[in-house]
Amino acid sequence: MKRYLLILLFLLLPCAVFAEEEVKIALTPAPIDASDIASIKRGAQFFAANCMSCHTLVYMRYNKLAQEAGVTYEKMPVNIKSWPYGVSPPDLSLEADAKGVDWIYTYLHSFYQDASRPSGVNNLVFPNTAMPGIITTFQGTQVKAEKLPTALFHKQQWFDLVVLEKQGTMTPDKFDQTVTDVVNFLAYAAHPYESSQKSLGWWVLGFLVILFVLAFYLKKEYWKDVKRK
Amino acid sequence: MTTKDEVIDKERRCFIRRATAAVGGVGIVAASVPFISYWMPSADTEAASAPIKIDISTVQAGQQLTVPWRGQPIWFIRRTPEMLDTLPLLNSTLRDPNSDEPQQPSYARNIHRSIKPEMLVAIGICTHLGCVPTYRPDKGSISPAWLGGFYCPCHGSMYDLAGRVYSGVPAPLNLRIPRHMYVSETEIMIGQDSEGEGE
Amino acid sequence: MQRLLAWFYARYPWQEFMNNHLSGYYAPRNFNFWYYFGSFSLLVLVSQIFTGIWLTMEYIPVSDGAFASVQHIMRDVRFGWLIRFMHTTGASAFFVVVYLHMYRGLIYGSYQKPRELLWLVGMLIYLVLLLEAFTGYVLPWGQMSFWAAEVITSFASAIPYIGKGIMVWLRGDYSVSGVTLHRFFALHVIFFPLLIVGIVFVHLVSLHKVGSNNPDGIEIKDHKKDGIPVDGIPFHPYYTVKDILGIVVFLFVFCTILFFAPKFGGLFLEPENYIPANPLQTPEHITPAWYMTPFYAILRAIPNKLLGVIAMAAAIAMMFILPWLDRSKVRSIRYKGTRSKIAITAFTICFIGLGYLGHEPVSPLYTFLARLFTAGYFAFFIFMPFYTATEKTHPVPERLTE
Repeated sequence: MKRYLLILLFLLLPCAVFAEEEVKIALTPAPIDASDIASIKRGAQFFAANCMSCHTLVYMRYNKLAQEAGVTYEKMPVNIKSWPYGVSPPDLSLEADAKGVDWIYTYLHSFYQDASRPSGVNNLVFPNTAMPGIITTFQGTQVKAEKLPTALFHKQQWFDLVVLEKQGTMTPDKFDQTVTDVVNFLAYAAHPYESSQKSLGWWVLGFLVILFVLAFYLKKEYWKDVKRK
Repeated sequence: MTTKDEVIDKERRCFIRRATAAVGGVGIVAASVPFISYWMPSADTEAASAPIKIDISTVQAGQQLTVPWRGQPIWFIRRTPEMLDTLPLLNSTLRDPNSDEPQQPSYARNIHRSIKPEMLVAIGICTHLGCVPTYRPDKGSISPAWLGGFYCPCHGSMYDLAGRVYSGVPAPLNLRIPRHMYVSETEIMIGQDSEGEGE
Repeated sequence: MQRLLAWFYARYPWQEFMNNHLSGYYAPRNFNFWYYFGSFSLLVLVSQIFTGIWLTMEYIPVSDGAFASVQHIMRDVRFGWLIRFMHTTGASAFFVVVYLHMYRGLIYGSYQKPRELLWLVGMLIYLVLLLEAFTGYVLPWGQMSFWAAEVITSFASAIPYIGKGIMVWLRGDYSVSGVTLHRFFALHVIFFPLLIVGIVFVHLVSLHKVGSNNPDGIEIKDHKKDGIPVDGIPFHPYYTVKDILGIVVFLFVFCTILFFAPKFGGLFLEPENYIPANPLQTPEHITPAWYMTPFYAILRAIPNKLLGVIAMAAAIAMMFILPWLDRSKVRSIRYKGTRSKIAITAFTICFIGLGYLGHEPVSPLYTFLARLFTAGYFAFFIFMPFYTATEKTHPVPERLTE
């Protein structure tokens, strides 16, 4: 009896893969370099030109780098009451902290054609997203791949699940670079103080090491009295 | 154990104690810097206090335009030639007719206290205790001898049409002229001139 | 200068204070690593007060503005990010340090006679600290702030008959709103900090009345020579100097986190809280801050609303009565019997296990483990009168072993 139960359990194991309607997708790490200011600026310019007609970045209002790259508060769609598709596009100032840079990077790569959606597109990372296919202009149109045989322990990434049908204005490499720049800019937007934070950190730790050496010898010196007893 | 050891101990102890206290003191001073800097105007405050451009094309002759900037009323008065003619007549009744006190930039140190004679740009705050004076251009309105100017209702200080303070009133100084420059015939930038930014 | 000092000393008991409580106050010579955390707690308290006051200068305690004001502090105010991160890192550091401080009391029997009052006062600080932390976490008015407030204030509704009324009274509204936020601001900035400072003062006074315990659990006042405990050393300069060293090391760890990982993997600053509060949409996983997760795990382990809340409260209440549960004639774990050692080890595993589970989403396995750990947690206290009274202990030395 026990043996049969074990065999049954073993047979049922692969069913776990089919348990969910949506395919669980592993996030692709975003290859951003926070010290690459040029990349951040390019990302800001792309954002101003292509994302800012719908998305605001309200907390960047007084940020010099953003302003100089064209991300100005006056041009942001602030206080618009109604949007097509019902949902209003979220403010992206803190998106990199709320969702993570990998999520945004993968999301921007994961749009595919879906006739059942009002916008005509869907997204692997955020199923049934209300965001229209702006990305499609640059990346091109993608369609869902034929279902690949699922290896049990292989975490699928976006490129396993969709196929480029027709390239847009950018080659895949150029598109990756552009998305990297945009994600880099959004990471900067979420925490523009980060570079000062880290450089100040090194100074503080260095100072504490020096203070530690002095405090150590001070303690040792006084405690000679106690050890002597 | 020996007395010689104890003496060396005390000096070493004193040195290490002082060195640690000194470095620790530096640390405490450094740690207080963020707390003190925090009080400086923030980025949005700086933005709100930035120089502003004002269009003076709508100001008619004899009219006053008031624009708030850095929490202060900035006056733009388009003076008529008759108004300008009254200025030299009043010199003997004024405390500082030649604008010797540093209440104006160098380009406003003249009888009309402005870049262009007809356009007065002044900070509308009485130099006595800070009230906002009223604009009284009509001759004879304050007193029979009144030739036009500004009257402060708080304590009775009076200024002429160039903002120069009368003698015998509580206010000690002429009205302040802010840093400004013409960026075109009809636009003045307040808070900025060739020398820099600020009031 | 000397004359100025003499004038001052004649009018203020400064020298008496320094003598009675610093250079003339004798502490055991064998304080180890576990004895740093009291002074670290005091350091973090002072830091939280200063950074907190600075934050209130720019923070807007109104629902329409709170979230934005925090971003204003982070981005527009000079060094605002630093003051804010000091405050959030400090909040978590406070609990790390306080838990380790309490653990020291647990393992060395510092709650035993004559230090029962000291322990009770300390537990009171802990309780008010939990309330202070909870009200503080609501202030940024992010999704986690809002929903944690909703969940925790809804515990009141578990009370029969009057529960719903109490919940509305607590919130000041029919669900958590800007009214709740504003009153939590008043509590967090003024009421609880004043209370904490007052109770900490009482804590130090009651400590100095009875004197510190030590890792051997021996009473140093039992052996005196010329009125001074032979195993005692003046707190100043020996422990002032040792604590300064400890503080430098603590600051190193603190600053490493502050400058390089203030979010601490999402434990100190949760990703959900970067989204403004939305009363119409609950986040996928609501969790309290990490320092409350053990109690949250206990709450979720019990499948009945009222009993869950009671169990959660009982978990903290048990800590209060610890001095009267421990029947051992021996204070320190060093000389207690094997049963106590196993009990404390098991308790530690249960507490940490509950802490982990409280942060994870519910699953059948996790619920089972939570119930197991909850049983272990309570067993530690409930059976303590029995296993401590009857176990075979080791002989306690007369004098300190270090």
